Amino acid sequence: MIADELVADRGVSAGDQWITVSAERVRDAMAALKADGYRLLTFLTCVDHLADSSREWPARFELVYQLRNLETREQLRVRSFVDGDPPHIDSVWDIFPPANWDERETYDLFGIVFNEHPDLTRILMPDDWVGHPLRRDYPVGGEPVDFSEEHEKWLTAPEEA
Amino acid sequence: MSTPQGVTITKTGEQGAFGGELLTVNFGPHHPSTHGVLRLIVDLDGEQIRRVKPVIGYLHTGIEKQMEALRWQQGVVVTDRHDYLSPPINNLAYALAVERLLGVEAPPRANALRVIMSELTRLSSHLVWLGTSGLELGAMSMLMYCFRERDTILDMNEEISGFRMHTSYIRPGGVFADATPRFLEMLDTFTHEMPGHIDEYEALLTMNPIFRSRTIGIGRLSPEDAKVLGASGPMIRGSGIPWDLRKTMPYSGYENYTFEVATSNDCDCYGRYLVRIKEMREAVKILRQALDRLPDGPINVDDRKILPPPREELETSMEAVIHHFKLFTEGYSVPPGDVYVAVESGRGENGCYIVSDGTHKPRRVKFRSASFVNLQALERMALNHMVADMIAIIGTADTVLGDVDR
Repeated sequence: MIADELVADRGVSAGDQWITVSAERVRDAMAALKADGYRLLTFLTCVDHLADSSREWPARFELVYQLRNLETREQLRVRSFVDGDPPHIDSVWDIFPPANWDERETYDLFGIVFNEHPDLTRILMPDDWVGHPLRRDYPVGGEPVDFSEEHEKWLTAPEEA
Repeated sequence: MSTPQGVTITKTGEQGAFGGELLTVNFGPHHPSTHGVLRLIVDLDGEQIRRVKPVIGYLHTGIEKQMEALRWQQGVVVTDRHDYLSPPINNLAYALAVERLLGVEAPPRANALRVIMSELTRLSSHLVWLGTSGLELGAMSMLMYCFRERDTILDMNEEISGFRMHTSYIRPGGVFADATPRFLEMLDTFTHEMPGHIDEYEALLTMNPIFRSRTIGIGRLSPEDAKVLGASGPMIRGSGIPWDLRKTMPYSGYENYTFEVATSNDCDCYGRYLVRIKEMREAVKILRQALDRLPDGPINVDDRKILPPPREELETSMEAVIHHFKLFTEGYSVPPGDVYVAVESGRGENGCYIVSDGTHKPRRVKFRSASFVNLQALERMALNHMVADMIAIIGTADTVLGDVDR
């Protein structure tokens, strides 16, 4: 059983069970949950709560780990909140191998730095890309298109983000 | 490990087992057998593979970012486009997730039509896989046979939704349109003819000595590895684990249909081929049952706040006009919260994780794509095989690069 001291909060959202753990103890919590039978990390991602007024958020970035127990078919969502520039959290790729690429993707698109990740490089965007596109302060826009008369009106990627 | 620009072969300086040196070779991204644009950096010892590093992102189109800029009902159109071989199944994951957040449930007829479209899509996706994989392994005629039936399925898509590929047919609250009598007729003919066509494919490949020698024992993935690496779909069932979301975590009334979960204990490329062939037969069975028991009734939830009123009502009811106007200007808002819904696509678990902040646009939409996770198992499968076997392994992993990169 995962120790109660690791769980900061728990609840149900639209039928899905979730718990919140502190960012410092995320590795302990994930290892405990794996020992509890949640052996599959379905996905790992991040949510940017910048200017989200739906409720009070402890921090800007919410890491979301969706776990599944293949025997009992239970699912559990683990949340963890991080702030900072850049935000840091421990990697869980050695506990759950599928997290390897998911963490790279989250680093690429949100700029979350996963400590101790073996190869934390961009995965979807080009290596020389500036900024992290899925952050809410990153504009939706296009790249400049050559020979287009409208390209000057287009929103381009910021010089630095 | 980085490859200099414009150089395709580099000496690593490492000593190989055959007295030579390990070479780093660039495979793709524009190789015809990479099913899109997948680049692999392969370390070769002679012709044997020692390391594989997939490089992805060439088809990244920012689909998750686009979803945040679209209203809830507009997002459906984008979900068609990441896994471009199974649009209705992606629609279904998104629609189910939005419905869970809204707390509504699609009526029985909509569920049956969703199952019909999902299974047709599974068939057409497996047909593309079978055709192209056969082509890569030297069975040139497979592509023509498979695309013949796939075209019949696309004709049905066109009949029911007006589009051949990107149907946007399944949407939050129900489906876009009711099945026409001609569609049901086409489906009836199809379910009678398809088993014979699958026999044709099997006659060409199952006992074909060239196909067998290129797939049996190639790309082994043990059941433990499949579980640990999070593989899903035919990849995990080809390793003998009967995990199918339609059975294990049913949605849209799949629990009411009788079908078997196809598995194979071969754990290799041939096993994955057998699983997909069996799945095609089971899909036809499900289609037959769905067609025979298609319930009558509405195809959409009766909620004017999330779906537009019927055209006739607009002429007589002021309220209908207001609802129509509100829906097409502001859209509807979804209660705050988050939800994860997974459905079984032709490739495995395609899920949709949605976070709503209570506004008329999603805060975050994450697509959990089966191809992205399955591709991580590639190195495990390809290790110590010949470089030519890589073609069979990529083929039977059946990744769609649009789905990997999103």
